[in-house]
Amino acid sequence: MKTLSVAVVLFAALVAQANDKKFEEAMAAPIQRVYTAEKIDELQTAVNTLDRIAQAEKTRWEPLYYAAFGYVMMANREAEAAKKDGYLDQALERIKKAAALNQNNSEVTALEGFVHMIRVTVDPATRGQQYSGLSMQAYGKAIQQDPNNPRALALMAQMQYGMAKFFNSPVTEACGLAQKAMTLFEAAKNESILTPAWGKGMTEGLLQQCQ
Amino acid sequence: MKWIIACLFSSFAAAAQTTLHGRVTDGEGQPMPGANITVKNTYDGASTGLDGLYQFVTAETGRQTLIISSIGYVSLEKPIDLQGASMTIDVVLREGINELESVVISAGAFTASDQNRRTVFKALDIATTAGATADIAGALNTLPGTQKVGESGRLFVRGGDGTETRTFIDGMVVLDAYGPAAPNTPSRGRFLPFMFKGTSFSTGGYSAEYGQALSSALALDSKDEDPTTRTDIGLLSVGADVAHTQAWKNGSWAGKAQYTNLRPYMNLINQEIDWIAPPASTELSTAFRQKVGSQGLFKFYGNADRNRFSLYQTPVGDEGNKEALELTNVYRYGNATYAQAFGDRWFWRSGVSYNFNQNQFDRMGSGLRERETGVHIKSVVEQTLSDRVEWKAGVELIHRQYSARWQADQSGIRVQGFTEPLWAAFAEVDVYASNHFVMRAGVRSEYNGLNQMVGIDPRASLAYKLGEGQVSLAYGRFRQSAANTWLRTDSKLASEKAEHIILNYQLIKSNRTFRAEAYYKNYVDLVKFQSATAQVPGAFVPFTQPLLNTGHGFAKGFELFWRDNQSIENADYWISYSYLDTQRDYLHFPTAAAPSFASAHNFSVVYKHFVSAIKSQIGFTYSFASGRFFHDPNRAGFQNARTPSYQDLSANVSYLPNPRVIIHFSCTNLLGRDNIFGYQFATEPDADGRYAERAIRQAAPRFVFLGVFITLSKTKGINQLPSL
Repeated sequence: MKTLSVAVVLFAALVAQANDKKFEEAMAAPIQRVYTAEKIDELQTAVNTLDRIAQAEKTRWEPLYYAAFGYVMMANREAEAAKKDGYLDQALERIKKAAALNQNNSEVTALEGFVHMIRVTVDPATRGQQYSGLSMQAYGKAIQQDPNNPRALALMAQMQYGMAKFFNSPVTEACGLAQKAMTLFEAAKNESILTPAWGKGMTEGLLQQCQ
Repeated sequence: MKWIIACLFSSFAAAAQTTLHGRVTDGEGQPMPGANITVKNTYDGASTGLDGLYQFVTAETGRQTLIISSIGYVSLEKPIDLQGASMTIDVVLREGINELESVVISAGAFTASDQNRRTVFKALDIATTAGATADIAGALNTLPGTQKVGESGRLFVRGGDGTETRTFIDGMVVLDAYGPAAPNTPSRGRFLPFMFKGTSFSTGGYSAEYGQALSSALALDSKDEDPTTRTDIGLLSVGADVAHTQAWKNGSWAGKAQYTNLRPYMNLINQEIDWIAPPASTELSTAFRQKVGSQGLFKFYGNADRNRFSLYQTPVGDEGNKEALELTNVYRYGNATYAQAFGDRWFWRSGVSYNFNQNQFDRMGSGLRERETGVHIKSVVEQTLSDRVEWKAGVELIHRQYSARWQADQSGIRVQGFTEPLWAAFAEVDVYASNHFVMRAGVRSEYNGLNQMVGIDPRASLAYKLGEGQVSLAYGRFRQSAANTWLRTDSKLASEKAEHIILNYQLIKSNRTFRAEAYYKNYVDLVKFQSATAQVPGAFVPFTQPLLNTGHGFAKGFELFWRDNQSIENADYWISYSYLDTQRDYLHFPTAAAPSFASAHNFSVVYKHFVSAIKSQIGFTYSFASGRFFHDPNRAGFQNARTPSYQDLSANVSYLPNPRVIIHFSCTNLLGRDNIFGYQFATEPDADGRYAERAIRQAAPRFVFLGVFITLSKTKGINQLPSL
């Protein structure tokens, strides 16, 4: 009887591990694609894969997060304002679900700020005030949740840099923040494919502007 | 042991694989790329290619569910039975109704909102329109459908007078939305544009939810909780204000105190008006917001205001005789609303508002005190039945008490007044046949406890997508209680009524908007004096006359609107033109004639340009209104003369030296045109049998304003731009 219960426990652990492995394996390709794909239809295919995983894995925030990231990339590449907004709506929907699964996740909060930041670019004159405020708030919250999240710092630096340029004020604070983000990017050891790993290139670009 | 074996068997023996393929198309048979096909609760599935085709292999067996989804379409679930053989499953997805693609009812409606992204007019536009001096009505007066009445400052819509436009805050009625003003000078709205996240200005055919408005409904949506703790300081050329906002996790509180005194300004710039004490006012306002649970929101707004001025008037033809006139206005407004969602289908909102307005006029020792108190209670339920059908229904009570108290010559003090309880119920349903066609039908029923009459008013509108634009049609019947001045002498007067028919075409494409609208409006049951005679404008109105509901009138016209913030970099402009043909036979009119507040042609151009090099937004507004009819007792006929046209060129500059400071400068009537709004005549003819006349002019050729707005906050990048 004892052997039987040990066998059951072992088997259950084995199944769980196999499931985790299956999850990570399934995630690897679409994550790679949302990072690298250039075309909207390629991104859509990757997002669809992530959406399928998300509806099967109801307790994981990662597929929702990367699907949202994919939609943000699609919005970035879309020229038409209404479509851009449509993609951002899709991203926000998934971010909200991810945030509900994993409260106080700095990565999710930072991505939300990113969505608001891209909203501004659709119509800076009328949206600037509202959405830049929202995005600053999200970045602030993300930094609070994890002071060592390089993406939160880098996005905040980006925002501060834009603001400083607009008002002709010194960019030292923004550039200092970007430098700090860069240090964290370089130190980051991405053990798992599931750990967000984007934003280094953007920060390099910002640091170049700083010089 | 058997159990484990069974488990092992089921997880390793699923060797049988099924290939699924097929095509996804939309309702019109077009292939849909990028659709997602999923075997429910598994990772298995695929995306469709450009040809709408998909194919994948699944190791699942037995009864499963296939989910097919795509952005903008209604997701579909299909039961399937996987048997290992190849299966072909073709799917047709039905288009979902979504905010970004679907038609909207645009007849008569101008919506400015930060939330809805497809609006013609933005909330910020109100604050940054030159010539409007941050007044809501001032900015909306640059839109088609309005007639400029320079000496009033109110919204006159399509042949209606200023009282026919009703203001609502969060759905609750506002009885007197404008501050007091000296005779023939424009009044300003009591509510500042920065308080609101959305403004919906309807020039006709509005929802059954809005009653007691004959011509127009101005629905203002106040902001939700403010997320930023901060202090705002404003130093104005006419006073100062200070505001503080305290934010917490799910709520906020804000308080504002403002003092304005025009005396220093009036001393500096010569005025047409002979002031004794120029207007001075003290205003306190407060706003409280609290989220309740995840789906409830409580809002309170309160405002208390005291305003006073006095001046000398001289009767026309008797210039040596100075009469002192003093006005003290006391105003209080409170508005509490609660909104609660139940899941994503049901929505409930309720509110109470309280209005108190008292005017004390003192003229040569005789006084008149007018006082109005109003309470509005309202409750509305909304339900989304499906993505195609939604409805709302509500009940409300608007309870008004009015009294006028004055010193009659010999007989001592006289008091007249009335109490009007007004019950109403309304229901409205929106049905989307597709993204191309929407219909709205509603009905509003009112019981007026003062005249004990019941009214039923139907309203309906529809919109149809036509190419890239859309056509919209609206019809409605509207009613409004007679003016307080008439009701206080005869409380049995029926409500005045109007019918609107509106046809609209709208095209929004790449940051450009074109609108054309035509309308016909019919007025019945207007208040009329039993023995109407052509009266000298401004003459004493005989209150003792019997009043009837036999007046009537019409208004018809068309309007054009063009807005473009694409063609010129960093610039945004709009052009409005309105044509109006209106006549009415009401009050003292001996015959049907154009009323004095109506002008046939109204034209305005608003231009805004952001100049990055100097971090400033520069704006210009040009307004034109053709001459208005007035009655000249020295000539034969009625409403027999016309004023010169009204023209104004205004400019403003907003300079942002850093993220915390805004410096705002504005000036009206740059060209110094001597606009004449009408004429006053002596009550008695002079020795030659002529009535002496005097033109009603602007109080000063220009109004110059300078303000410095400073924001103190821990959060970066917040300034008072929305409050300008």
